[in-house]
Amino acid sequence: MTTENIGLFQAMNAKMQYLDQRQKVISQNIANADTPDYKPRDLTNVDFGTVLKNVQKNSSQVPSVRMAATDASHLPTPSDINNARVHKQKMVYETAPDKNGVVMEEQLVKANDVQMNYNLMLNLYKSNMDMMKSALGRR
Amino acid sequence: MSDTMFSTLAVSSAGMRAQSERVRVISQNIANSDTSPEKPGEDPYRRQLITFKSQLDKNLGAEVVKVKNVTEDQKSDFRIKYMPGHPAADADGYVKMPNVNSLVETMDMREATRSYEANMGMFTQSRDMMNRTIDLLR
Repeated sequence: MTTENIGLFQAMNAKMQYLDQRQKVISQNIANADTPDYKPRDLTNVDFGTVLKNVQKNSSQVPSVRMAATDASHLPTPSDINNARVHKQKMVYETAPDKNGVVMEEQLVKANDVQMNYNLMLNLYKSNMDMMKSALGRR
Repeated sequence: MSDTMFSTLAVSSAGMRAQSERVRVISQNIANSDTSPEKPGEDPYRRQLITFKSQLDKNLGAEVVKVKNVTEDQKSDFRIKYMPGHPAADADGYVKMPNVNSLVETMDMREATRSYEANMGMFTQSRDMMNRTIDLLR
């Protein structure tokens, strides 16, 4: 048995993977902050409440994540709710004359958000590991 | 998981590479801001411009920034300076000087530095995240 079979750890794993992906997208935006015609990207929001519900139901499935419904007519179909997608941002704060839409401040705020959440997950992970270790009587 | 993190580092370093190329072009412009022609009728140093493009890197699964090309600035005019004793002076004593405006170059340089720092910041942050993850093993 590994920690990956435990629901809580699965949920934390899913969130960390999401944050990893988001960090990549943000660094892509920052790297392209001076590229003409570049529109910033972001990941679709993931409903981590559903992830948690799956965990509470103790389902053995890999927690699924849901696509953002950008239109009222969008219905989430169970078959394609398994991945957060990268999408071009429709609303940008400012577009430069060279049609670049990256606002550095916005990206840095997002990057900070990712880092804080990631640290939160790491600390949670660590304290849960510590709890298990003490249950095993190894501390 | 660490795959994504490593590609984050690669994306940031591609950004840093592009910006340092830009700094190179700008310093070339500043260094040559007084490079006059050798003979009358010849053109002096022409200001260089750098352009970027984003390119999908299939290995990384991300769009990295690449230098598109470095071209000569054909649109702005040369400065004309009155120097009758200069070997390249025309009949009236005027010499064509490069179309480099040091104010523009300095601002451009500052922008490139800031972009470089932003990429550097992302690199450092991702590295810290990786290090903290590795610290879980302790």
